[in-house]
Amino acid sequence: MRTAALAFSWAMAILACLFLLAPLLVIAAASLSPTPVFDLPVGGASWRWYGRIASLEGFWPALWLSVQIALLSTALSLVAGTMAAAAIVRGRLPGAEAFAAALVSPLMMPGLVLGIAMLQYFRGIGFTASWPALLLAHLVITLPYVARTMIAGMSRFDFTLIEAALTLGCTWPQSVLRVMIPALAPSFLVAGLFSFLASFDNYPVSIFLTDVRTKTLPIKMLQYIEEAPDPTLAALSTLILLGTLVLLVIADRAVGLSRMAGTGE
Amino acid sequence: MEGGGMAAHLSVRGVSKRFGATPVLTDIDLRMARGELVTLLGPSGCGKTTLLRVIAGLTQPDSGVLELAGRDITRLPPYRRNVGVVFQNYALFPHLDVAGNVAFGLKLRKRPKAEIDASVKRALELVHLGALADRPVRALSGGQQQRVALARAIAVEPSVILFDEALSALDRKLRETMQGELRRLLRQIGATAVFVTHDQEEALTMSDRVAVMHRGRIDQLADPRTLYDRPATAFALSFVGQSLRLPGTVVDADGDGSMVETAVGQVRAPRRFLPGSPVIVATRPEHVRLAEGENTLHGTVTGVTFQGSRSVVEIDAGGAVLMAELPGRQALPDPGTPVSFGWPVAETLLFPAEEAA
Repeated sequence: MRTAALAFSWAMAILACLFLLAPLLVIAAASLSPTPVFDLPVGGASWRWYGRIASLEGFWPALWLSVQIALLSTALSLVAGTMAAAAIVRGRLPGAEAFAAALVSPLMMPGLVLGIAMLQYFRGIGFTASWPALLLAHLVITLPYVARTMIAGMSRFDFTLIEAALTLGCTWPQSVLRVMIPALAPSFLVAGLFSFLASFDNYPVSIFLTDVRTKTLPIKMLQYIEEAPDPTLAALSTLILLGTLVLLVIADRAVGLSRMAGTGE
Repeated sequence: MEGGGMAAHLSVRGVSKRFGATPVLTDIDLRMARGELVTLLGPSGCGKTTLLRVIAGLTQPDSGVLELAGRDITRLPPYRRNVGVVFQNYALFPHLDVAGNVAFGLKLRKRPKAEIDASVKRALELVHLGALADRPVRALSGGQQQRVALARAIAVEPSVILFDEALSALDRKLRETMQGELRRLLRQIGATAVFVTHDQEEALTMSDRVAVMHRGRIDQLADPRTLYDRPATAFALSFVGQSLRLPGTVVDADGDGSMVETAVGQVRAPRRFLPGSPVIVATRPEHVRLAEGENTLHGTVTGVTFQGSRSVVEIDAGGAVLMAELPGRQALPDPGTPVSFGWPVAETLLFPAEEAA
């Protein structure tokens, strides 16, 4: 009986993994399609679609814009979110819980609503420069990820460590640099990764704030799909997937994935 | 050893601290000689941890002066005091391995690499952890973490080492082993140390002198033997060791002491009080004999427990339940029988009644 139940659980776990991974495998396979439609590479694979990515119209500016916005919004969110988390966890603020909820609330909001709201708002105050508007909007997207992760990380952080560092000869700033930040490194990494990825692949908010010259990669990709649906897009998606994997592997090497996911001790 | 002389290594004078309207420390005086081990003993909320934090510089006192190794440290931040602290939860740095933790303070002092390595090695060997230098601290047991915390504190050769309930997280058996080991080690390196604990056994075992703290004050500062034999207050009596206590009233006093009337008989005590004062008469269980003597009282035996080398007899004395400890294999009374008992005048302790907390 127990063996049967265990076997069933295993089967379900494997099925769930397959269900989650199948689309990724299909897109990777389709990127090697020998024909100009999304075909599985049965009877001959082709790498030519990868070669075509670079020649997509407006690809490089879109990629560069997305990377810029993602990096900048992540960096700003890390600073602002960490300081906000410190205030919420340690500041003995009246209504700290409400602040925390407000900081994280954009996560609960549909992206479309957020996008329309920001478009209206920016128009209303006459703020029409699309690059800064995009950055501000992405800050709203990334800040909740950072705030949530850093609030969790900091509530688990043992502030006696700071006192230990002080008695061992650290000044206050030194103790933050030498103890608090390294001890919180896993949280910073998780926060940064989530934030970067959330910004990099954001569509519903960006769509309202881009113009002809300022288009992020996801928006450009949708445009390609509408104009010429060939496996070049599958190749590009596969590369993005690989890039994400590389990020995760580096993160794992740096602090350990189990420490990041909070699943291991 | 007594720390009362001129050359106090650590001196705390008139230190007071309030948290809001609540006084946590009131006019604390404590002088320690170099190499002395002193315990701050008391129940939770008595101010012992606050006093430790004041010495470490983690809490600023409202008033008073602190001197350490000939320097006024009252206004110095913790990182300029040269104190070592072993925290209750050890507070090891999770991102560093064992050697990294121990080297932390030495690196901040900008010592040469070779010197740091040598000091780390020596400190780890002192706590018998030489083989675990490159382990991550998460992989260690509670006892091992405790030793790392100790090695980290002693590696920088602090002027005083402070232990905040440092052994209380260990299980009983390990705690007892560590008590002996820690005491030997601190003697070996000639450390001056302050322990904070609520465990009276630990206090008696570990220290040269014990400060019994109660409601933000030091009730008594004495060596363990004196503390046990001659507690200065009713609180010190009840907090350290077992005791028998009876309420009474002083009926007579002369040059030799007082005569006290209790519900179950009259008792002589060597301490003088004004006739008419309400008092508490007390002694230790091992001084009681089931016979008429200098002080004779009357009660009823309510229980007898044989414990091998000794027996404990429970006596109802006019409503107060007293525990007497009798050595060896003497004949014991049956429960329910009336009994006369007493103890020597010299071992009779007397306290004002209002002091009994």
